[in-house]
Amino acid sequence: MTYADWFREDRLPHIYCVGCGNGTVINCTLSAVDQMGWEKEETVFVSGIGCSSRAPGYIVTDSLHTTHGRAIAFATGIKMANPDLRVIVFTGDGDLAAIGGNHFIHACRRNIDLTVVCMNNMIYGMTGGQGSPTTPPGALSTTTPYGSGEAAFDLCGLAAAAGANYVARYTSYHVKELTRAVRGGLENPGFSFIEALVQCPTNYGRRNKFRQVMDQIEYFKSHALLVQKADRMREEGKKIPDDMIIIGILARRNRPALGVRK
Amino acid sequence: MQGNTACAEGALAAGCRFFGGYPITPSTEVAEHMALKLPKTGGVFIQMEDEIASIAAVIGASWTGVRAMTATSGPGFSLMMENLGFAVITETPCVVVNIQRGGPSTGQPTMAAQGDMLQCRFGSHGDYSVIALSPASVQEMYDLTAEAFNLSDRFRVPVFVMADEIIGHMREKLVVPDTVPRQERKLLKKGDLPFRAGDDLVPGFPTFGKGYSVHVTGLTHDERGYPCATSPSVHEDLVNRLVDKVESARDAISSADIVNPDARVVFISYGAPSRAVQQVLHDTSRDDIGHLRLKLVWPFAESLLSRFPDAETFIVPELNLGQMAREIQRHTDRTVIPVPKLGGALHNPSDLAGLLEEVA
Amino acid sequence: MRLVIDERRCKGCNLCTLVCPYRIFRPGTTANRRGVIVPELDRPERCANCRLQRLYGRTLCGVCQMICPDQAISWEEEGACEPVKVAIEY
Ligand SMILES: Cc1ncc(C[n+]2csc(CCOP(=O)(O)OP(=O)(O)O)c2C)c(N)n1
Ligand code: SF4
Ligand code: SF4
Ligand code: SF4
Ligand SMILES: [Mg+2]
Repeated sequence: MTYADWFREDRLPHIYCVGCGNGTVINCTLSAVDQMGWEKEETVFVSGIGCSSRAPGYIVTDSLHTTHGRAIAFATGIKMANPDLRVIVFTGDGDLAAIGGNHFIHACRRNIDLTVVCMNNMIYGMTGGQGSPTTPPGALSTTTPYGSGEAAFDLCGLAAAAGANYVARYTSYHVKELTRAVRGGLENPGFSFIEALVQCPTNYGRRNKFRQVMDQIEYFKSHALLVQKADRMREEGKKIPDDMIIIGILARRNRPALGVRK
Repeated sequence: MQGNTACAEGALAAGCRFFGGYPITPSTEVAEHMALKLPKTGGVFIQMEDEIASIAAVIGASWTGVRAMTATSGPGFSLMMENLGFAVITETPCVVVNIQRGGPSTGQPTMAAQGDMLQCRFGSHGDYSVIALSPASVQEMYDLTAEAFNLSDRFRVPVFVMADEIIGHMREKLVVPDTVPRQERKLLKKGDLPFRAGDDLVPGFPTFGKGYSVHVTGLTHDERGYPCATSPSVHEDLVNRLVDKVESARDAISSADIVNPDARVVFISYGAPSRAVQQVLHDTSRDDIGHLRLKLVWPFAESLLSRFPDAETFIVPELNLGQMAREIQRHTDRTVIPVPKLGGALHNPSDLAGLLEEVA
Repeated sequence: MRLVIDERRCKGCNLCTLVCPYRIFRPGTTANRRGVIVPELDRPERCANCRLQRLYGRTLCGVCQMICPDQAISWEEEGACEPVKVAIEY
């Protein structure tokens, strides 16, 4: 099998806009799942509401496309009731960190054996480009027309602090690394959180000086800083510019986990 | 045994193997008893972070094929509404126990009420239909909770056990039957479309993990389960079927006690006020006073009213401002007298007897 | 193996043109029937995967395929070479 065998062929092409990064993250995730050698029958995808959350509908396994923000809570029920199932959650920044923030931190605390892949486009894509909890300060959206005046969440920092066993961040440019990171999450028992920064050319890029799809990808490429290098820079007393994106495996540990297959 | 404990025991006897909940008075004992017993039966108890998560986890668990439930009261019930709509449109069996307390808002946490009878029927957005039972004794807390799972699996709808603080906290003798009747969830035949229903309007259930590759979405979907949110006819067909599968079985599943069917004046009650009515009938020992005691409240079977062909007046005591009385009035041109009661105390039987003097 | 872009899926985002180490993908110039400007392939036989997938028994490189958000890039089996008569004109 290859990653391509996991798609629900009769539903493609998907609804995503031209150049939307979500499709790339689906590729990387399915590629990681495929490398694990899992059966379709034992794998379940769960999601909330948003562009990102449409992903499970394009995958040919059992899948549950739930309500806005609640995917992790639904997934918790599935995993606890049948730990033999491999449960993967697709979510967006608004879905995960705004309306679903409470479920997110509690799942990290329980360290339940789920892999959560967040497509963070720093915007509410599906509803037309409103500010989200990860919209960077100063960024424009339809509800922050003068630039966002709020601080943004560090989703990975949140997951690590709340107790997740495995935390990683990459972008839709880093396809090989992202695939490896998702695979790491699938392998690691307990709660695994992978943040994939993605371009939303339609609702984020267009308003924030990324005129072409490629511009934001170039930005991800030039502003990514591997966590090891960032640590070294800090040790050397060098300042890391605010707009750098720290990528890499940010936490990996073995706290007792819930719902692990016996 | 206490009503809430009997409820939990009834669920266990029915094979419930998943409970997700969040503590709230006066329902907490249900969760506590499940926490005690479920691990010993190979089931799962999980205390979630709120009631939204509780019902979500219950729905998730149900998709793995297990019988799953939660229990709550007013404030938690309000939080569950969106996901209950999700259970309706995805046709997920689940049982929700509501030990009703006084509302709105935090209201009267330790006092009985029946103020959520319309909320359980209409509380989520959109058109739909559900099933609600209302126990009036500790025994019925056991029996009806067990039956709720059968109805939920048969119709693939959320089934509510709409009890109240009085019944939940009452202590009575419970006779535990050797077995409870069990009707299993009909499974999807391999190769059939997952959301295409036959004559009973209920499609077979494609349990997760069995190779059905089913996509389940809260969006309006076609018979394949694929989102189809802009076709008027797909939406219309789906919603009509969701409603019809329950409403067309209204008479078949109706469940009520009928006393003195020749009576001219008939009490209609469900839940705790039934106790006051029974007291009145006992005290007056008149056989021209009838009693229709609903065990299954929603869908309301109006055919039950015609079981009292001579009735001129229906008296409906409720622990609310007349929620079911309004539904009953909708189905009859005979006189319906609501007897609303707020505050937590049960109707005083002598008050009901007094009312009887006035009308008959 | 032969590199192909599925025109029914490609939405013309040009992300593939950004990542190929051999610059095999070039932004296209003309819109197809669906109005999408599909990238052009410049000597695709240079692609590492085209040349070596057989030998190694797995996808090599494959970055273009992974980044393509629309699952439009794949490799096809090439039919066995048919002998062709070539008339050589002097
Ligand atoms: C309870 C509820 N509130 C609001 C909405 C409307 N809504 C749909 S998607 C969305 C935001 C999605 O943002 P995100 O999770 O970042 O996903 P994206 O579309 O960006 O991938 C909102 C607010 C909803 N569906 N449900
Ligand atoms: S709106 Fe943004 S996130 Fe949604 S499909 Fe379009 S590009 Fe992707
Ligand atoms: S597989 Fe690599 S070398 Fe081949 S076309 Fe794609 S990016 Fe270029
Ligand atoms: S990345 Fe895919 S969709 Fe985008 S231009 Fe290339 S082939 Fe087309
Ligand atoms: Mg978003």
